[in-house]
Amino acid sequence: MRILLIEDDTTLGAAVRDQIAADGQSVDWVTRLDAASDAMAATSYDLILLDLMLPDGRGIGFLKVLRTRGDVTPVIILTALDQVSDRIEGLNGGADDYLVKPFDLSELSARIGSVARRYSGNPNPILTHGPLDIDLAARSVHRDGRHVPLTAREWALFEAFLARPGQLLSKAQLEEKLYAFDAEVESNTIEVHVSRLRKKLGSAIIETERGMGYRLGRP
Amino acid sequence: MRWPASLQARLGLSVGLVLTMLWLLAATVTAVIVRAEMDEVFDSALRETAERILPLAVTDIVGREDQGVTQRLAPIREHDEFFTYLIRDAEGRVLLQSHAADPTVFPSYDGPGFRQTATHRLYSDAALQDTIRITVAEPLAHRMSVAREIQMGLGLPLLIVLPVALIAIILAVRFSLDPLRRFRARLEARGARDLSQVPHEGLPTEIGPLADTLNSLLARLREAFEAERSFAANAAHELRTPLAGAIAQAQRLRSETKDRAAAQRATDIEETLKRLTRRTERMMQLARAEGGRLRMDKSSDLRGVARIVVDDIGRTGTPDRIRLNLPDMAVMSDLDPDAFAILCRNLVENALRHGGQTTPVDVTLTASGQFTVANDGPVVPSETLNRLTARFERASATADGSGLGLAIVAAITERIGSRLVLQSPRPDRTTGFQVSLRLPIEDSE
Repeated sequence: MRILLIEDDTTLGAAVRDQIAADGQSVDWVTRLDAASDAMAATSYDLILLDLMLPDGRGIGFLKVLRTRGDVTPVIILTALDQVSDRIEGLNGGADDYLVKPFDLSELSARIGSVARRYSGNPNPILTHGPLDIDLAARSVHRDGRHVPLTAREWALFEAFLARPGQLLSKAQLEEKLYAFDAEVESNTIEVHVSRLRKKLGSAIIETERGMGYRLGRP
Repeated sequence: MRWPASLQARLGLSVGLVLTMLWLLAATVTAVIVRAEMDEVFDSALRETAERILPLAVTDIVGREDQGVTQRLAPIREHDEFFTYLIRDAEGRVLLQSHAADPTVFPSYDGPGFRQTATHRLYSDAALQDTIRITVAEPLAHRMSVAREIQMGLGLPLLIVLPVALIAIILAVRFSLDPLRRFRARLEARGARDLSQVPHEGLPTEIGPLADTLNSLLARLREAFEAERSFAANAAHELRTPLAGAIAQAQRLRSETKDRAAAQRATDIEETLKRLTRRTERMMQLARAEGGRLRMDKSSDLRGVARIVVDDIGRTGTPDRIRLNLPDMAVMSDLDPDAFAILCRNLVENALRHGGQTTPVDVTLTASGQFTVANDGPVVPSETLNRLTARFERASATADGSGLGLAIVAAITERIGSRLVLQSPRPDRTTGFQVSLRLPIEDSE
């Protein structure tokens, strides 16, 4: 998943960025609304984490503009405004969820997962795919009842396939999901991760369309 | 005499008094002038009478056969005699007198002209080298009764004119003060929470500036309340963001380090920061509860607020323990939704904390605005209950932990003019603890 974090507090922003990266998602972190607009013009995001009080404006206004434009990217508000009226305003403005500062990073991870699942059409975090039992919330995979440990990157790649079952994903698309703007992408990274996933979860788990990309294998 | 407090009564009384005095003064001056004029007329009549009678009397007396005899004229017809006269010779012997004349009222002759005794006004004249002298007397009582009649004529209208004038004054004052009365009624009709401008068109110019001052005071008060609100919101923001950053960093540290001791330290830091967060949160809430505006100009549905609060609390650890009962119809109230949220959150958290680990907490809001939070925890002895109530009244800001939460609830309850009812055990049960209060609700009609 590719996530846009809009947060002007550097200490909090850094911790949130690290947490999301540790979950294996790619994250772009901006501290201003104009930078957020630029980033959104450059690439598409799966989710936006939006602070409400930013140096160049109110996050709620940004959200309303987004929704008026017809943008349906899921938005989670991160707010220091603890009053119920602020939250009602945020939710009515088109936010999918909100977190009042301070929050637990693990709760943030859970909220991101839950909002993303709701958007992909299946809010149930438990999936079955052939011999695999997948718990999206716990980020765990069991193959024939045995736990298969995945690294954060492997999990992120696997999640990208699970989110779009049957759909062909190009290497560039997958790279975009995995890496933020500034991360170095090695030319064969996707191939390496795909081959590791096949080794751990069975060779049929990911199919290759030569020259086109990859898709989730049939169960 | 105490001066009345009412402006209307004061104006009526003072104008009425001045009017009475002026009238009395005018009447007195008129009476004195009339009296002088009247005396002149009466005197002239007196003198005329003397001068007319004297030549007749002289002819009569000179032509008499018997000299020095007193002759009393018989009345031609019975009548009241205002003028009596006496005609005397130089020795003072009475030669002629009118039928009703009483010689005792006539003093001895001392030359022509006007004289006055205690009871009569007299005019004397003489003829034939001062050998025949006439003195005409008029009783003063007659003049006095005429004067009294004139005075009465001047004074009597006072009895009618004065009450009429007073009524007219009262009506005029009342009419003039009508805009002021309307202004006062508008002020009385509005609630304490309404800080909008009071319209004051038509107010007399003397009172207009007062209304202007009041309106500018209201505006400043509104600004102060707004400033306080935005301070509470800003302070929360300014404190929360750095605290969130520090807590998040501590959490990252804990998950990134392999060192157990370091992880424990990170946990300790996180706990402390969270405690600090809760503490400042409560202080802000108390500040809001005691200072901020609790009633809004527009109303909102309290059910939504209750849902959000219960959702919120459910998210952080204790889902399914809260049973929320809400009516089907909207519960509209002008109570600040944030204040209600604070009240609701504190009561529910208290009920969760003190109610045992697994027992449910019932949160009920009725259509009539009765808000109840109850748990199934152990019965609180009545003396403890009394102490709790007493502490609510003190609303001590130094109390820690739950004490502050209850103080916040108490402060809000008191400021919305409601009463906090604590019951243990719960009504119709043998266990539990229930807190209830009535929220200000707008009629749904």
